[in-house]
Order: sequence, then structure tokens, then C-alpha cells
Amino acid sequence: MISVRNLNHSFKIGKKGKEKQVPVLKGLTFDVADGEIVSIVGKSGSGKSTLLHIMAGFLTPESGEISVQGIQTSLFKEVESAKFRLDHFGFVFQNFQLMPGLTAFENVELPLTLKGINKSERQKKVKDLMQSVGLTDVQDHYPNELSGGQQQRVSIARALITDPPIIFADEPTGSLDSETEQDVLLLIQSLNKTRGITFVIITHDDEVAQTANRVYRMHDGVLTEGGAHHAI
Amino acid sequence: MQFKDQISFVGQHIKKNKMRVFMTVLAATMGTAFLIVLASVGFGLHETIRGEVLSNRLVTQIEVFSSEMDEEKVAELKKRDHVKAVVFRQNIGTEQQSSIGNFTGNNPLIVTDFIEEEKANFELQEGRLPEKANEVIVGSNFAEYLMNQQDENEDGEFTTYDGKLIGEQFIYQVGDNEGELIEDEMMLTIVGIGKKPAKDWEQDQKIYADASIIPELEKIYYTHVDKPADDHSDAEQLFYGNVNVYADKLENVKAISTALKDDGYNVYSISDELDKLDVFFLALKAGLVFVGTIAILISSIGIFNTMTMAVTERTREIGVMKAIGADPKLIQRLFLMESAWIGIVGTVLAVVISYGVSMVSNYVLPIIVTAALGEEDFGDMTVTFSVIPWQLVVIASTISIGVAMISGWRPARKATKIDVINALRQEL
Ligand SMILES: Nc1ncnc2c1ncn2[C@@H]1O[C@H](COP(=O)(O)OP(=O)(O)O)[C@@H](O)[C@H]1O
Ligand SMILES: [Mg+2]
Repeated sequence: MISVRNLNHSFKIGKKGKEKQVPVLKGLTFDVADGEIVSIVGKSGSGKSTLLHIMAGFLTPESGEISVQGIQTSLFKEVESAKFRLDHFGFVFQNFQLMPGLTAFENVELPLTLKGINKSERQKKVKDLMQSVGLTDVQDHYPNELSGGQQQRVSIARALITDPPIIFADEPTGSLDSETEQDVLLLIQSLNKTRGITFVIITHDDEVAQTANRVYRMHDGVLTEGGAHHAI
Repeated sequence: MQFKDQISFVGQHIKKNKMRVFMTVLAATMGTAFLIVLASVGFGLHETIRGEVLSNRLVTQIEVFSSEMDEEKVAELKKRDHVKAVVFRQNIGTEQQSSIGNFTGNNPLIVTDFIEEEKANFELQEGRLPEKANEVIVGSNFAEYLMNQQDENEDGEFTTYDGKLIGEQFIYQVGDNEGELIEDEMMLTIVGIGKKPAKDWEQDQKIYADASIIPELEKIYYTHVDKPADDHSDAEQLFYGNVNVYADKLENVKAISTALKDDGYNVYSISDELDKLDVFFLALKAGLVFVGTIAILISSIGIFNTMTMAVTERTREIGVMKAIGADPKLIQRLFLMESAWIGIVGTVLAVVISYGVSMVSNYVLPIIVTAALGEEDFGDMTVTFSVIPWQLVVIASTISIGVAMISGWRPARKATKIDVINALRQEL
């Protein structure tokens, strides 16, 4: 479970000496339960990514508390935060963020390599996962030899490979056409069902948001629970 | 991340940027090879000059001065550790003259112990050692000092003896305490000629005789001069002695001379001068290493550039690794490994190349120098131009790899400081 309490964050913008404090997140308090898909939907620039960055530990919030499975992650130092991510989080990005020099297989293998797992064990795990997400045929392709949908599948596989309890997805379908978007969303839903993984999906797209169990709306740095099946 | 995975990770990056890495390794190789070859000249010169000095028997010689030297003391000196030989030479303290026919000279006679002389590298170029009382050995320049004062050559110089020496007899006379030659003559027979001294500028015109000659010489002398009452007053003595102690090895010269000094002897050995030589060459080598290090520093700019570029190019990838959960220290280590790899490969190549250059120059340079200066000037001196001892390899490798790691340090730090959010925002 992720719980966020009274989270505030603001950015300094402008020239040195004449900076302005721009508040981006204003006193957010919400929870994400284990095993649910939560979406955070809002206009571009409303602060969704900033929220995700703070939850993931990429950014230290100005104030507020975040705990993941009872552990206060907002107090972590950089190194602790990195270690925690490796063990607990998976990430899916809009731009896929695959390593261009590594094949699909090696990209999926990377988090296991970072964890210091043996090569033989790694290869077996990756092989199994590639099969279950339907990437076996393209496992030796480099990212630039894959379609957008395939790349996103690879990046989802990479997020999954360490069996993390939580996967953060920032605009996971933002670069995909509507057909592949559906594929990816279906994959997320099935992984949520079969593996019980918690997903936090950030999107500007209401339709995408509606695939979640619960929808939060971000507006002007304030989060409101929008309920399911809210349509514009 | 396991170490072998780190290695293959670094290896992949190097492979991807072959050309750039190759050029950087080349620069590191050149810098390091320059250092090694330059310093090797210092080592080579040191070895050459040390070798020259060592080939001279004087190096292991310790001159011992004592006003009361006698056989008993000499026997004691012989018993000391690491003493190879103790040569007790007795010189004549008065006028002396040798003559063959019309040729006369003032060649000094020395009474010595041939067994000890031989141990101290005394060698004959011809003939044999004396066996009877009146048999002597003469130095290699003996004849040149016998001059015919009635006969001048075309240059206005007296002619010198150029006849046969071995088996020849000559007349030997000593002077009295006033410096007047005593009429009584001794007939001495030359049985051997000493070897030419190692140094061109050294001359040996001496006459070497065995101790068995002493009674007859003293008899002649003391029939004309009053025998001193006190054996140790040197005023009227015919002989005065000096002792040279020879160490078995150069390393032991210092220990022996220190012990002798402690026992109250006045001692002179060349080991002090050799110490000065070593200090000088140490300074020279340090200077050459310093100059060579500058070359390595210049090549390190290349490493710094390459690594900075590598980090900048991979900003997004580093951001992704950090996002997934890579430890910043791991990222730093991966980049340090890359610059270390450049340093290590550069150093290994440099060592191999330096040995090659060193061997070739030791083979080729003497040929060139001999051709330029002529055979005689270069002579039989064995010159080593370049020597690469393992210590030099260790020093150069330490400097080269150390500098490579230091120049990779800042880029590696920069990599760890990369902000995940900014890196992820970069376009593909
Ligand atoms: N590093 C930053 N410095 C200053 N302002 C920032 C920074 N990152 C984001 N912002 C601002 O914060 C607001 C929220 O950005 P973001 O969280 O990316 O929005 P979203 O993901 O909802 O589009 C935007 O107005 C953006 O300009
Ligand atoms: Mg965003």
C-alpha cells in the first residue's frame, strides 16, 4: 500500500535572484491499495509527473510524507531510494526508455543484472517472461528495430522482471496509436489480475484513465477522487 | 551487479566507441612509452657508469693508514669477514735507480705479497711470478722510464729502453738518507711484466719484489745509514708500508671500512664516491620521470575528454539505470573502470613498446655512434643506452594508471550526479 499525506511541492523558476516559487502540488493526501490499478488523470502541466517522481523517489518533496508498505520512503537518501526502487518498483515511461545498445532480451535482463543475479538464473527468468508477454520472436531485436507497441511491451517486461509489488506508468500509451494502446492496457489489466501487481497509471487521456479501478483527478495541484467510469 | 557483469557492461561500451577509445589508448600509450624510454636512458647511463667504475679494481679497495702497520696487524685484517685480500705493500723511502746498459730510471721498488696481490686481481701480461730473492716483476710502463741521457731523438727527447725485458738483469741501487746513491749494487732479474692498468691515463713503471729481498736491501742501506734505535721512528727507515684491504663485494666495502674506522684506522675507500654517484643518478632519473609524467598528463587530457563525452552521450541511459534502481556508486565505478581500462591497456602496450625501443636502441645506437666517432673513441667501453628495470615499469604503470583514473574521476562523478528526471526528459 502507498499512502501519501499532505504532500506539497513547488518549483523555483526564472532567473537567479528573481526566482519565483511556483507551487505544483498542494497538500495531496491519498492512498493506493495493494493490487489495484489507480489512474491519475489531468491536463498537461497539472503536476501528475511531479507526483509520480516524488512517489518514486526521483525527487524529494518540499513537505509531506510518503510511505510504501509501511516504510517511510520520503526520508530516504539517494542510495537507499535507489535500492528500494530496484526491489519494489517497476517503471513504464511514455518514451519507453529502453537502452539503445541492448537487445530486447538484454533490456529486460538489466534490472536482474543490477540486482546481482547469476547469468543462468537471469536468462531463464527473462526467457519465461518474454514468452508470457509474447516477445520471444523479437527478443534479439534492438529497440530501434521494434515497433512502438513492441517497445512498450519490452519496457513493461523490464518493469515486471523483478516481480515488484508496484509498477508506475507515466503516460504508458502516450506514444502509441489507439489499437496498440488497447493492447498495452489489456496487458496491464491482465498482469494486475494474474500477478496482483499494483499499477499507478498517469495519463492525460480520460479513456485510458477509465481502465483503472480508481481514478484520481489532478487539477491545479489538487487531487480529487473522480470515481470509476467517469466520462467527459 | 556482479563484477563480471560490470566488466562485460564496460566492454560493451568500449566496443561501441572503438575508434574514440582507440585514439585515447594510443595517446595514453605514447605518453607512458615516452616516460619509460626517457627514464630508461637514465637507468642505462647509471648502469654504464657504475659498470665502468666497478670494472676498476679500486672500487673494492680500502686504503688503510696506520703508522704502526706490521705483519701481525695484516694477519688480523685478513681474518675479517668479507675481506678478499690484504695487500701490504712496502715502499722505499729514499732515492733509487734502475739501469740497463746506458738506460737509467728512478722506477720505485715495492715489496709486496704476490699471493695477496693475485687475490686482489693483480695480473701478469707476460712471464711468471718471482721465485727467488732477486727476481722481480716490472710494471707495463717500466721500460719507458728507462732513459739514455746521452742520446736524444729527433724531437729532442731522450731515447728510452726498447729491448727485451723478460729474463733481463738490471742494476738496482738505493740512496742513503742524504739522497746520495749508494755504490753497492743489486742485480735483479725480470721474470714477469704486469698487466697494463685498466685506465689509459694510468702508468705502471714500478718494480715488484717479494719480501725475501728485504734483508739484502737493508744490509746495503744500513751499512751507510745508522739503524734507528726505535723500530717505529720513520726518520731513518728504509721501508714504509701501506695496506690495501680488498672487499669481496662492493656492497661490503662500507661495512668493512666502518669497522676499520671504529678500530682506529684511517681509512679511505671509493664507496663514498659511489654513494654520491648513486645520489646523482637518482636525481637524474627522478627528473626524467618527472618530464615523462608531463607527457602522461598531456595524454590524460584525452582520457578526460573521452570520458566526459561518454558520460554526456549516455546521460539518458544513466538516468534510466538510476530510475530502475542502479546505485550511484555503481555508475561511478563503471565509468572509473572504463578510464582504468584505457589506462591499463595503454600502459601494457607502452611497456611492450618501450622494451622494443630499448632493445633496438641498445643494438642500433652503438653502431651509429661508433660510425660517427670512429672505432677508437668508443673503444671497448660497453655503453648501455637504455635499461628498463622492473622498478621503472612499476613506477610508470602507477603513474599512468593513476593519472587515467584521476582524469576519469570527474566525469564519473558527473555521471552519478545526473538528475533522473532531466535525463528521462531527453529526447531519444
Ligand atoms: N524541474 C522543474 N522546474 C521548474 N518547473 C517545473 C519542473 N518540472 C516541472 N515543472 C513545472 O511543474 C508543472 C507540472 O509539471 P508536470 O508534473 O510535468 O506536469 P504533467 O506531468 O501533469 O504534465 C508544470 O507547470 C511544469 O512546468
Ligand atoms: Mg507528465
